[in-house]
Amino acid sequence: MTAAVSKNLKDMTFEDFCRTVFDTTKRYDKPETLKGVRVISTTQYILGPSCANYLAELGAETIKVELPKRGEPMRHTTPFNEPFLYPLSRWMPDKGTGLGFFGANANEYFLSLDFHKPEAIQIMKRLAAKSDVFAENYRAGTFDRWGIGGRQHLKVNPRVIYQWMGGFGGWGPGRNRASYDILGQAQGGCFSITGWHKEYGGMPSKQTIWIMDYWGGAISAFNIMACLYWRDNVSGKGNFLEYSQVHGAQRHLTDLIALYGKTGIVAQRFGNWEPLLCVHGILKCGKSSYPNSKNPQEQEVGFCLVSAYKDEDFANLCKIVNRPDLAKQYPTHADRVGADAQTAIYPELEKWAADKTKEQVWEECKKAGIVSQPVWNSKEVSAQEHYHLRGSLAWIDDPTFGDVQTQVHPALMSETPPRCRWVFKPVGADNEYILAKLCGYSGSHIAELEQKEII
Amino acid sequence: MAEKWRTEKKRPKIKVLPWPAIPPPTVDEVYAGVDEKKKAYSLWVESAVRQQFNADKPESLDGLRVLDCTANQIIGHWCSSHFSELGAEVIMVEPTGGDPLRKLTPFGREEYMFTAANGEKCGARFLAEARNKLSVTLNVETKEGQDLLKKIIPQVDLLIENAPPGHYDKLGIGYRQLSEINPRLVYLWVGERGQWGPLKDQPGAMDPVGQNAMGFTHGTGAPVAFGGTPTRSGWWLADQVGGTFAAMGAMAALFAREKFLGTGQFVECTAAEGVMRIIDYNWGWHGMDGSVRPRYGNWDLAINIYAVNPCADGQIMVGGGHDRLWFRIWRTVGKDRPELEQHICEDPKLRVVTDRLPHYMQVETYTTMCDWTKDKTRAQCEKALQEEEVASGGVSFLDEVCEFPHYKYRGHIEICDDNNYGKVLLGASSFIGMNTPGRIKWIGRTVGQDNEDVYRRLAGLDREKLKALRKGGVI
Repeated sequence: MTAAVSKNLKDMTFEDFCRTVFDTTKRYDKPETLKGVRVISTTQYILGPSCANYLAELGAETIKVELPKRGEPMRHTTPFNEPFLYPLSRWMPDKGTGLGFFGANANEYFLSLDFHKPEAIQIMKRLAAKSDVFAENYRAGTFDRWGIGGRQHLKVNPRVIYQWMGGFGGWGPGRNRASYDILGQAQGGCFSITGWHKEYGGMPSKQTIWIMDYWGGAISAFNIMACLYWRDNVSGKGNFLEYSQVHGAQRHLTDLIALYGKTGIVAQRFGNWEPLLCVHGILKCGKSSYPNSKNPQEQEVGFCLVSAYKDEDFANLCKIVNRPDLAKQYPTHADRVGADAQTAIYPELEKWAADKTKEQVWEECKKAGIVSQPVWNSKEVSAQEHYHLRGSLAWIDDPTFGDVQTQVHPALMSETPPRCRWVFKPVGADNEYILAKLCGYSGSHIAELEQKEII
Repeated sequence: MAEKWRTEKKRPKIKVLPWPAIPPPTVDEVYAGVDEKKKAYSLWVESAVRQQFNADKPESLDGLRVLDCTANQIIGHWCSSHFSELGAEVIMVEPTGGDPLRKLTPFGREEYMFTAANGEKCGARFLAEARNKLSVTLNVETKEGQDLLKKIIPQVDLLIENAPPGHYDKLGIGYRQLSEINPRLVYLWVGERGQWGPLKDQPGAMDPVGQNAMGFTHGTGAPVAFGGTPTRSGWWLADQVGGTFAAMGAMAALFAREKFLGTGQFVECTAAEGVMRIIDYNWGWHGMDGSVRPRYGNWDLAINIYAVNPCADGQIMVGGGHDRLWFRIWRTVGKDRPELEQHICEDPKLRVVTDRLPHYMQVETYTTMCDWTKDKTRAQCEKALQEEEVASGGVSFLDEVCEFPHYKYRGHIEICDDNNYGKVLLGASSFIGMNTPGRIKWIGRTVGQDNEDVYRRLAGLDREKLKALRKGGVI
C-alpha cells in the first residue's frame, strides 16, 4: 500500500484505518528501513548495545562483537540471579544468559573476537572497511591505540559513521572517570528532582530504568540516522560522533537549567505532584486491587493519576469527590497551582480515594470525562490487549529460546515498520556466517581461529 | 489561565550569580602533566568536535522542513527539537493565542518566566524546547486554517501532530487527506498511549499518563518495607523518551523515502510505548515466570554493588559488580575502616559474584558500606573511590550540575544569547560530532512571530490576505 490511499481505506473509520495500516501481522510483508546498512557494534552493557539494537530493529544488519566464551558482562546480569535463558553458547550449554541482556541485543548477529590477539584486530579492520556504522564503547582512545579507532577507519572507509559512546567522553577534565547509568543519573541531576521532598519522608530517587543508557542509545541512533541521511543525500562523507552518557541528563533537564540560570532557583523534588499543573498528580487509593494475592507487589494499595488541571475538569472532579467547596475555593488554575494550594488539595482528594481501588478511581474519572491512569505494574501492563495489538509488546517464537515476551521498537510505521526477529542469540552464534560472508574465511580457517581462542 | 498569580509566603530573594560562577578549566589545565602520546587522542577528538567551530560546519538535516503542529504536550516539541538542533527548518504551528504550555511555570510563579523583547512572557518548560524553531499561529478548526495548511503541505517533509485521535482526519487534514496532496509527506502522530486501540488517548492527556501506563511509576521509589511508594519521574520522562523514539521513527521514514520508497508514510509513537521499549527485562521476566518487577529504591535488582546510598552531606553512588571492582571498593573502604573490609571479604557468602545478588546479601553489603560513607562527604567518598578507579559520584543538585567543570568544559551546558529573550542557560544538543555538529542558534520566538515570513514565503499570502486572516482569527 502506498501513500496514495486506496478507496477502501478512504472510507474506513479512522480507527479501522489505523488498525489496517499498522497491522502488526503484516510487518513481514513490508520492507525494512535500514535494509543494506551494516552496523558493527563492539559495545557492552546497555548504552552502546541499545543504540545498535534500535538500528537492527529498523532493519540494519547489525553485527555484535563480544569476547569469546563468556560474552559481554550483561549476559551475567539478571535480577536476584534467578532467571536465565539457556544456553550461553554452544561451548557452555549448562550456563545461561541473564535477563540484563534483554532489550538491547535483538535482531543482531553475534560474533566473538578476542581483541587482545593481533588476528582479531585484522578481522576488525576488514569488518570496518565494509561497514556503514561502527559503534564502540571501549575506554576512549583504546581503539585508536589498537589501530581500529575512528581516525584509522575513516581513512580506509571515508563513508563510515563512527560512534563512540561512554561515560565522560574522550576529552575534558573528567575523561578518565568510569561511569555507569546510575552515575549519569546521580551526577547529572536526575535523582535530585525525583521522589518526595524530605518533609514528606522522601529522598532523591533513581528512575527504575537504565534511562541514561537507553536514552543515550536512542539519541545516538537518531544522530546516526541523520548522519546516514547526510552522507547518502548530501555529502557522501562519514562522520565521527562522541556521546557521553552524563550528557543526557543535562539535555533532559534543560528547562530546569534555564530556570537556574535565570533565577538561581535549584529545582527540588515534588513527589507525585506536578509543579506546573494542578490537579495533575498521582493519588494514593486506599485499597489494593488484589488483596488475596500472594505476591506482595499486588497486595500493595493502588495509585492512580488524576489530571484535571482545566477549570471545568476541576469543577467536575470536585463534583465526583463531593467537595463543591474546593471548586469554589480554587476556581482558577492560578489559584490551584501554587505550592500551598497543591499541598492542601491533594490530601482532600486522597480522602475520597481512601476506600477505593485504583480501578474504581479510574472508572469514576472516566465516567466524568476526566483524564486518569492507574499505576500499573509489569503484570498489568503485560495483560493489556492494547499494547499487544499495537505490537509494542509481543510474544515471539524465538529461534533459540522459544516463546518469549518482548518489547519491540515503539515507532509504528505504515510502510517500513520495525520488527523483532529474535531477542538475542548465544555467544558466537554467527561466527561462521559472518567470517565467511565478510572476511571470506574457509571452514577450516574458522575452526583454526576457534582453536586458537581468537573467536 | 487567569492572570491572577498566587502570592504564597514571602519567598527569599536569591542572588543570581552569572554563569559560570567559576570559569571552566583551560585546555592547559586539563592536560597539565599528561604525556604527549596519551593526550594526542584527546586533543584530536577535542579539535574534531569542539562546539566553538560549529558555525563553520554544515548541518545534517539542512533543507528538511518540519511542521510541528503539537500543542499542550511536550512529546511533540521534544521530538521536533531533535530535528531543529540538526538543522531542519522547524515551524511550530501553534493555536491562535499560542501553545498553552507557554503559560506554564512552576507553581504559577510569574517571576520564573522569561520575557521577550516585546514584553511577552514564556515559561521555561516551553522555551527550552523552542530552540531553533520558528513560530506561526494557525486555527486548524476553521475552514480557512485548514486550507492554509493544505496549501503549505506540498513544501513540507514532516508533519507532527498530537490532536485527539482522529481529530485531524475528521477536519480533513489527517494523513489520509494530506498524503494525497503530498505523497512524500511523512506524517507523525504522537501522544501518551495511542490514537487507536482499546486505550487510545483522551483529549488533554499528558505525562505522567505514559509513565503510569507502562509500569515505570510502579517500579520507581523504595519498596513498601522501606517506606516507599510508587514514584513518578520528576521530569516528563515518558514524553521525552517517547519523543526521541518518535524522532527516530520519523527520521527512518525520511531515510526510507530518499533511499527506496519514494513516498512518505504514517508514523505513530507514544510516550508509554517509548519507555516500555527501554524498561530493561520487565516483559521477558514476566513472560518467563510471571514475576512482577518490584520497586527496589536506589539499589539494583541485578547488580551488587550498583547503588546510591546516604553519606554525610547527601548521597553517593558507587558501582562495581564484578570481582575486580568489588575488591577495589572494599580496599578503599579498608584504608579507613579495615574491619569493614575484613567483614565483607571474609564472608564466604559474598565471595562469588552471583552469590551477592539475593536481597539479604545486598542489605549486608550496603549496610556495611554506609558505615563508611556516613562520616564522609560526597566529595571525600568520590575522591577516595576514584583513586582506585571505581565509578562513583555524588547525587548532584541543579546548581552543582550547572557548575560541574566537566560539563562546562565540554559544552553540555551553554548560554544562548537570544535576540528575543536575552541570555538563557540551556542543556546543549546531544549531537557532539565532527562534520555536522548539532547546535542551538536561537532559543525561541514569540507567539506567531514568523506568521508574516512563513505565510508569505510558503503560501504566497500578501498584506491584504494576511490582514484578513488575522482579523478572522485564523492566524
